[in-house]
Amino acid sequence: MPARIRALAVLAVLVVAGMFAVAGLAVQDARDGLRVIGHDAGPQVVATGDLYFALSDMDAQLADVLLIGREQNLGKGRAEALKLYDQRRSEANRALLQGSKLAGNDPAEQRTAQSMLDALGRYERLAGQALQLDEQQNHAAGPPGPEVTALYRQATDLMKLDALPKAYNLTLDNGTTVRRTYESKHSSVLAGRVWVVLAGGVLIIVLVALQAYLAVHFRRLINPGLAVATVGVAALAVVAVGLLTSEAGHLQKAKYDGFDSVLSLSRARAISNNANADESRYLLDPGRADTYEQVYLDKSQEILFVPAGNLDTYYAQLDRRLAAHTGFMGFYGTEARHVTLPGQRAAVDAMLSGYQRVQQDDARIRALAGAGGRHEAIVVRTGTATGDFDRYDQALVSLTAIHQKAFEGAIRGGDHGLDGWDLGLPGAALAIAVLILAGVRPRLSEFR
Amino acid sequence: MRVRAIGIALAMAAGMTGCAGNGPRSILGKDKLAIGVTADQPGLGFRFPDGTYKGFDVDVATYVAGRLGVSKKNITFRTVTSSQREKVLQTGKVDLVLATYSISAERKTKVAFGGPYYVAHQDILVRRSDTSVKNVRDLAGRRLCQVTGSLSWQRVTAERKVPARLVPAGSYGECLTKLRNGTLDAISTDDLILAGFAAQQPQAVRIVNVPFSDERYGVGVRLEDVDGCEAVNKAVTEMYQDGTAGALLGKWFGSSGLHLTNTVPQFEGCS
Repeated sequence: MPARIRALAVLAVLVVAGMFAVAGLAVQDARDGLRVIGHDAGPQVVATGDLYFALSDMDAQLADVLLIGREQNLGKGRAEALKLYDQRRSEANRALLQGSKLAGNDPAEQRTAQSMLDALGRYERLAGQALQLDEQQNHAAGPPGPEVTALYRQATDLMKLDALPKAYNLTLDNGTTVRRTYESKHSSVLAGRVWVVLAGGVLIIVLVALQAYLAVHFRRLINPGLAVATVGVAALAVVAVGLLTSEAGHLQKAKYDGFDSVLSLSRARAISNNANADESRYLLDPGRADTYEQVYLDKSQEILFVPAGNLDTYYAQLDRRLAAHTGFMGFYGTEARHVTLPGQRAAVDAMLSGYQRVQQDDARIRALAGAGGRHEAIVVRTGTATGDFDRYDQALVSLTAIHQKAFEGAIRGGDHGLDGWDLGLPGAALAIAVLILAGVRPRLSEFR
Repeated sequence: MRVRAIGIALAMAAGMTGCAGNGPRSILGKDKLAIGVTADQPGLGFRFPDGTYKGFDVDVATYVAGRLGVSKKNITFRTVTSSQREKVLQTGKVDLVLATYSISAERKTKVAFGGPYYVAHQDILVRRSDTSVKNVRDLAGRRLCQVTGSLSWQRVTAERKVPARLVPAGSYGECLTKLRNGTLDAISTDDLILAGFAAQQPQAVRIVNVPFSDERYGVGVRLEDVDGCEAVNKAVTEMYQDGTAGALLGKWFGSSGLHLTNTVPQFEGCS
């Protein structure tokens, strides 16, 4: 008889250990998921997005300076555009230095950071030469001389073909890391829930069996230690399942309401900024105007897709489908169909109407330039269009901030939920084991 | 790992998770791959009488497949025409398409694109004797080759709104025959394709050398296969980092006089 009691008690303690292990593993999965998504790859998306923006805007400001020429009264003027260029340059340098520090010991990432620094150095040299020569030429607003154009082409190609792709691909890499981590950790946490329920169920059956055995053989109605342990197991299972459910929920919210939109909106911002610069380049370099117009349409369709074979159709379809609030895809189509956060609807609408105005300006600029009014086109481009683009960009930044806030909130919620579990879980398991042993010990001592 | 798999199975049995998405298989984990390439574009994808395929696209496909763990002998190349490229992916007839397949927003509604692995530029090919075509606008009123399923002629007539007279053809190989025998005046498509033709018949035709678009050559992957698409991107990154991309570009287009880019392109993104 004592052997049987001892066996049941040992079994119960083993199942306690098992329950502790599965709950602990699931908590660890949640913790790993929060770490990668919330504190590592997730924030990296924002950092690499900022790097892309700084690089892309450097080249955009350079194009504007060369386009304005000697006409100080155009738009923000040469001096102001140069100041902005310098500001972006130091932002890019800072981001790259930061990035090469973050790359740590990963050789592939170090190589990427190093080659971007090299590319930026070469770019600055070319840009410096172009600016100096352009200043000497002292030309009216519009395309600069062929030597300046040739230098600018080298500079912008270096940015477009070498530095920018690396920054963008880093953003995508981090997106991949987040997606994979989410998929594995979210399902592990949910699976952990099932294991906790199973282990808890088995444990309760063992404890009840032990209780019944003692009741029959010792004619006692209830063993208080075992009874408290049983209640404790049930409580622990309920609390653990609740915690894991809420952790899975936090991960899900961080991913779907926060991260996914932050990623696609920062991609959209990168492409938008670049497309906006293509509009300047279209005016700056007539020899490549056809290509700059084609890539502008291509980028516009990536941002907001409506079926259109050329820009005129694109403008018309954009107006029609935005008025109808439906029938468009691309980054903004996805965003407009997934409205879950307070204030998001209004922010989406503000961004979409800002985007529409930017495209209307674009239509005007191309119509003017096409009809021989290049100077008027440059006036619109450096005046109204720049203002409208900045407002649209601000609306895009505000919308991203809503998702960023939701993301950070969900990660904080997840982190907070796990507070104390490093101690609480082993403590609870130990307490239950002690209660079981304390419950059976007096009965075992009756045999001595 | 097995414990987790059992756990997931239990969770599903208990109805505690949602759907598990039973889409078509990913290209990851396949032992063999069927890859769609072109058969009539020298330098990119060209089928020889003995049934072998050669070209830049074929070499890139072989490299990418290698990175996915599929050796050369387990790749089956299949000829795809411009108009079939979406369909063969959707029906699963091929696993990947590398066939001068330009990424476009329209096509992205049907398939996913890994890469681009290269950015080509649309240009114009004319008979060597023809000196009147200096840029895309000079194609107005000219007979231009129209290949079914290709975007190139649309870039001229719809995007640039140049009223060229379109002459239908099944493939760019057919366009070249028609250009030579005078049934049409110009072929406009990617410079890499035109370079192959020009190298074949340098006495008969020439490239005008007025690039007017960016053509981002993507690796067509089934729309749902995000994992596979991301693995393709990783392979393309490695192809540029280890110098293979530069070597292959030099091998196939080094003598064409085209300006070649040896740095990794900006990817489209898989989702």
